[in-house]
Amino acid sequence: MRLENRRPAEGINASHENPLKEFAWLAAGSVALLVAVVAALAFAAEWLAPRLPYRYEARLAEGFDLAPAPKSDAARRVQAELQALADRLAARMALPPGMQVRVGYREEGIVNAYATLGGRTVFFRGLLAKLDSEDALAMVMAHELAHLKHRHPAAALGRGVAVGIVLSMISADLGRGAAGALGHAGLVTLFRFNREQERAADEEALRVLAAEYGHVGGAIDLFDAFARLPAAPREENIPAIEFLRTHPLTANRIAAVGEWAKHNGAALDGARRPLPPAIAAIRTRGERAS
Amino acid sequence: MDALFELAVFAALLATGFLAGRVIEQRHYASIRAREAQYADVLAFGFRFPADRVTPQRVFLVTGTVVVSADYFKTFVAGLRNLFGGRLRAYETLLERARREALLRLKEDARRRGARMIVCVRFETTSITGGWAPSIEVLAYGTALIPEQTNRAT
Repeated sequence: MRLENRRPAEGINASHENPLKEFAWLAAGSVALLVAVVAALAFAAEWLAPRLPYRYEARLAEGFDLAPAPKSDAARRVQAELQALADRLAARMALPPGMQVRVGYREEGIVNAYATLGGRTVFFRGLLAKLDSEDALAMVMAHELAHLKHRHPAAALGRGVAVGIVLSMISADLGRGAAGALGHAGLVTLFRFNREQERAADEEALRVLAAEYGHVGGAIDLFDAFARLPAAPREENIPAIEFLRTHPLTANRIAAVGEWAKHNGAALDGARRPLPPAIAAIRTRGERAS
Repeated sequence: MDALFELAVFAALLATGFLAGRVIEQRHYASIRAREAQYADVLAFGFRFPADRVTPQRVFLVTGTVVVSADYFKTFVAGLRNLFGGRLRAYETLLERARREALLRLKEDARRRGARMIVCVRFETTSITGGWAPSIEVLAYGTALIPEQTNRAT
């Protein structure tokens, strides 16, 4: 018997391949997996949330001051007029059972209005100052009510929460960021509805407008008013055309109004109703000031 | 912003782990190969009793132990590997280095005490968990023999 020790064989028990190669594969796989999981969960939550009974959404919304009460008498009158219009239009829409529409009014210069949780919708002074007729205002109102009817805020919240939960599993910080966006301020900015939701809201709004006024001229007026807005705001650093930025292109929307009217046999033009007095006064005041 | 900072710290740790880990590993392998040539005259075997030709004069226990730590990069890659399964390459080199190093220290111990043969060599491993990178201890122990010298002298 010959006793000997050989040198340990290289490359059998351990691979000397560059570890970056393995890292690249694993990282790419993990990111792909994460994206797939987030997308699937976001999609599922967005689908599920509007299907939950409305009372859960209402209870959740109670915790937030989503439509703050106006401070001045003039603002209270504007708010009351907006609320009256909302109630009249809501009567023509099949809102989810138990949903009571509450309109908030904020004396800020942003040209915007938004719908949020719990049947709340908020209008900004900047938007009201751009409108010529009740018809145009009713188009915005009906559009926001249509978001409420289709429970788009709940869908957006569901999506936000799902993404936030997944992200918080990876990094507490990312999760906190997502959770912060669910706070009061975030409820406004979080709810970016997608094109399909905006299109559905526009269509429902046109239906309500045609039923209430006998024509859809208000929609044309509204989009014309948007088209006239300057591209950049002057006094505030918040985009003045917020309502436009998140919505389909104005030209496309005007075309869609014509298309819809033709398809549904609705008149494109007709007599406009004047704005309610307190809302009309916003514009007059603004013109005198400038 | 905080998330960005967190990401930058993570990337820095990963890069440090990779670069430092790789340099250390390559140096360790070079040193292991050099010493394996140096200690080629000390024979180590797994069999329990000395071979027939060897009549030992003195017999004693020798040990060699080493503790090595994974780096941040290896730990992270291993963590990802745990998701998908498969060969844990990141730790294979680490453990191979530890075993070869332990065997070398075992031979060093034997040679210092005048032995040129070790039988019944066994390995044991202990993992030291905690911290952000796992560490392991590898222990090699065996029975060192100093053969009867009178045979050769006569």
